[in-house]
Amino acid sequence: MTLLQVRGVTKQFVTRSEGAMAKRSTFTAVDDVSFEVELGETLAIVGESGSGKSTTARIAARLLEPTSGSVVFDGQDVTRAGGKELATFRNNVQVVFQDPFSSLNPRYTVERIITAPLTYQGIAPAGGRRAFTQELMERVGLNPDHYRRYPAQFSGGQAQRIGIARALAVNPKLVICDEAVSALDVSIQAQVLELLMRLQRESGFSYIFIAHDLAVVRQISQRVAVMNRGRIVEVGSRDQVFGDPQDEYTKTLLAAVPRINPEWDARRRQKEAS
Amino acid sequence: MSDLFVVDSLTVTLPTSRGPVDVVKDVSFTVGRDDTVGIVGESGSGKSMTALAVLGLLPRGAQTSGSVRLEGTELLGKSERELRAVRGNAISMVFQDPLSSLNPYYTVGLQISEMYQTHRGGSRRAAKHVAIEALERVGIPDPGRRVDHYPHQFSGGQRQRVMIAMALCCSPSLLIADEPTTALDVTVQAQILELLAELQSTTGTGMIFITHDLAVISSIAQRVLVMREGDPVEYGSAEQVFSDPRHEYTRMLLDAVPRIDDEVSA
Repeated sequence: MTLLQVRGVTKQFVTRSEGAMAKRSTFTAVDDVSFEVELGETLAIVGESGSGKSTTARIAARLLEPTSGSVVFDGQDVTRAGGKELATFRNNVQVVFQDPFSSLNPRYTVERIITAPLTYQGIAPAGGRRAFTQELMERVGLNPDHYRRYPAQFSGGQAQRIGIARALAVNPKLVICDEAVSALDVSIQAQVLELLMRLQRESGFSYIFIAHDLAVVRQISQRVAVMNRGRIVEVGSRDQVFGDPQDEYTKTLLAAVPRINPEWDARRRQKEAS
Repeated sequence: MSDLFVVDSLTVTLPTSRGPVDVVKDVSFTVGRDDTVGIVGESGSGKSMTALAVLGLLPRGAQTSGSVRLEGTELLGKSERELRAVRGNAISMVFQDPLSSLNPYYTVGLQISEMYQTHRGGSRRAAKHVAIEALERVGIPDPGRRVDHYPHQFSGGQRQRVMIAMALCCSPSLLIADEPTTALDVTVQAQILELLAELQSTTGTGMIFITHDLAVISSIAQRVLVMREGDPVEYGSAEQVFSDPRHEYTRMLLDAVPRIDDEVSA
């Protein structure tokens, strides 16, 4: 089932030079981008800085309106939805951001943070807020006894788990992860990726996974869209894009990824397996 | 191999509200000419503190013990004035963010020339010539014109090239690169790594390369020091550390790195 359709989306920003002879010009951040997300799948959008991947994510999340084109969710055109329609959309689509600390209110307890989406939607959890919070904390691998703590009392990896728990509070159909593991140390990153994959297996929602790190994308995605200068230059299954890239830019990108010396790596793994 | 640079039992202690904390504990390594030592670790491992200690750039109140010797000369305990003659001259550095390391109000040419003149003297015209040559060496096209441009007129990768040009203009014996490619796109990162390796092989400069990225370390370093919470966990040839790690922590780190060429289950 097709959950989300992004159709011919373009986003232009007006830039203005400074001084007496100020000139207005437009910059096209996203240029005629189309893709679909199936229910239960992970679509990764990869690209370098300025490729338009985050702008695309923000449009898909309805945090930004496109200049032209449309966003269709569950068969409903939500491109310019407002009020109740938008509220329903927000109930179904949640975002996990890169920096856990700047996306969590430092003055709120974990309980208040995690239940905030319910508060905005006017939903009262069946077993009460505390039980609801603790259950979610347990699901994302946090100690449920810490529901009264503040974000600053958690490590970066734990804070990202709070952000994930908050995204799951409304039981969304689509979770958009915008560089959600990029700021984490490699050992923590592996754990959070593992968590994201487990949650999807348990609940069957979809991810749009925005990232610049191709090795991470390879781990988590079923399909991959490669963006360059505002356009999708290639989209396909993970194995096709990584194993048999068609576009020149995709090939350059894959070749540039630093690799641990494969011979050393193979020797180590052999030793560890034996 | 001659030992150009020796760090011997370096310990760095910082004052905190909870009392003094050792952020670098008994770290030792050596860098030869034309040799790259990679220091790798996660956040809080003390890898950057080690570099700052070497350069005498630690925060106020920091205490150091041990020994840091460049070509036999002890650097720990030198006065700020003495260290200033070393920094940018015999030892130079490249940091993660070129934009915050460059002064936006001056042309890149002026900034490179100033570095050169501070240490080597000479006329302004000669220094500008050095700047143009340095820009050419790091692969900036049309250096004769670009030398008069300001930092914002360069892309991120070019700015890092400018930083490298500045770091190398006095022909240092040792270059310290602290996460020099972390802020760069992967295609640009590949170019900068190639540039560093090439410059090193032509100049014979020793290099300390600090990063959190094990794959990057594997491609550039001959020897690797793995750090964790200030402790030197493992130190050996790159081949040994990557193919036969002795320490559990190194193994865990290596296992955690996602591989782009691995078969993955759907």
